[in-house]
Amino acid sequence: MRYYIGAEARLRRTVEDVAMSVFQAWDYEEVITPSVDYYDLFEQGMGQREAQRGFRFTDNDGRLLALRPDVTSSVARMAATLLSERPRPLRFCYAAPVFRQQTQSHAEWRRENTQLGCELIGTGGKPADLEVLRLAAEILSRLNLQSRYCITINNVEIFNGVAAHLNLEDRAREQLRRLIDTRETAELQRFLKDYPEAHAFSQPTQLTGKRNVIQAARSALTNARSLAALDSLEDLWMEIESLGFENSFEIDLGDVSSLDYYTGLSLKIFVYGAGASVGRGGRYDGLTGSFGRAEPAVGFVLNLDALTEVLGRTIGQ
Amino acid sequence: MITIAISKGRMQESALALLARAGIRLNDGVNSRRLALMDETQQYRFIFVKPADVPVYVEHGIADCGIVGRDVLLESEADLLLPLDLGISRCRIVVAAADPQAMTNVQGMIRVATKYAQIARAHFGARGIPVEIIQLSGSVELAPALGLADMIVDLVETGVTLRENGLAVVEEIAESTGRLVVNRASYQLKSDEVGRLIKALEDRIT
Repeated sequence: MRYYIGAEARLRRTVEDVAMSVFQAWDYEEVITPSVDYYDLFEQGMGQREAQRGFRFTDNDGRLLALRPDVTSSVARMAATLLSERPRPLRFCYAAPVFRQQTQSHAEWRRENTQLGCELIGTGGKPADLEVLRLAAEILSRLNLQSRYCITINNVEIFNGVAAHLNLEDRAREQLRRLIDTRETAELQRFLKDYPEAHAFSQPTQLTGKRNVIQAARSALTNARSLAALDSLEDLWMEIESLGFENSFEIDLGDVSSLDYYTGLSLKIFVYGAGASVGRGGRYDGLTGSFGRAEPAVGFVLNLDALTEVLGRTIGQ
Repeated sequence: MITIAISKGRMQESALALLARAGIRLNDGVNSRRLALMDETQQYRFIFVKPADVPVYVEHGIADCGIVGRDVLLESEADLLLPLDLGISRCRIVVAAADPQAMTNVQGMIRVATKYAQIARAHFGARGIPVEIIQLSGSVELAPALGLADMIVDLVETGVTLRENGLAVVEEIAESTGRLVVNRASYQLKSDEVGRLIKALEDRIT
């Protein structure tokens, strides 16, 4: 539970205004979604595991409600239902608080976070992925965080291709995912001993870096699904290089934290001075389909409270 | 510069010995009472905190890395990277009791005294055994003798303390060794420095 008073509140408002003005300059329309909605919506949108972190309560008629744990679910449903006839692509942005139950060790006020986010719906492929990456980079540099941030990118289909190729059952797949996610080298190598196809993941310290990471992974992979994903990641990286952004971006093949949700590109945003990522996003082509109109979609969110804290500390120094 | 949080106590000496073998030596005497020290090259800052606090400092990014036992990590819910098993301070997390048949002999609810409430709850919960967890902060071995609990879940290095208190190992839950943990943001933002530390330690793990 966190109060912002005076100068802090002004700084927070400024950060929000900067992000929203960048979104609007790129033709993203603001959308305000309900703070309280049926829990089913969020379970459909985020998957059960994430949605369960929402605060839930019951309506007069006994139906389960939730304080929104994310905005993307609502925007996806809106695109698939209310706006199903509108010409594509749709571009939406928002600044809205979301509410999640946190584990004990997290600071208490983080039960409430304000997300600055955008969704690009109805267009896929490299141009759309690149658009949201450029948006994120522009917001961060407009906040004077130039050369103090790092955006990591990955394509979750690289992991999915390996898991499918190895025919891993759910438990083994989850174990492999967890070992890669937490970079447990010794356990990972023990696990992978019997699976040559997965050797692309056996050296966790070599999963992050620039273009060389892709070349190293390509030599270890044989399945078509992973290789196709690797190619599209490389294409995207080439575009990033040609824009001169390669110092602010990194490839991280070990970012496998939300596989159930993302279907292609996944990204995380880090800023010096913040102990955890300040933003995340990716492609979620499967999401709008669960609301009845399957179409490609990509987006990201920045954590307004985390950004305000970092910027407040820098100004204070 | 990167900051490394080290568990005070049992693991401190072996952690510092391993770091020294990897060429990272403290500037000051280890026995100094100061809680933050630099290494000789001024590239690393060390902070010494209670074991259970290491994951907290690292998750919040106050320390970039930490050295802490797996027992502490299993007990904490911190979201960290765990790149290296350092192989130091090897010990076991066990269930122990005066009566080796306690698991079947106790009627009704089994009372378990432990410092590791999470681990104990998860262990018995996974097997559908109802237990009452009694959280203690030390000298757990006393609890069965004094009638506070039927069993304990505790860390065992040699087993001497258990035997002296008339207890025997009923089953082993997990093995625990010292681990290198890394903050997720530091891993990306200070990838060169963190990578160098991992490499230096990796080469020295026996």
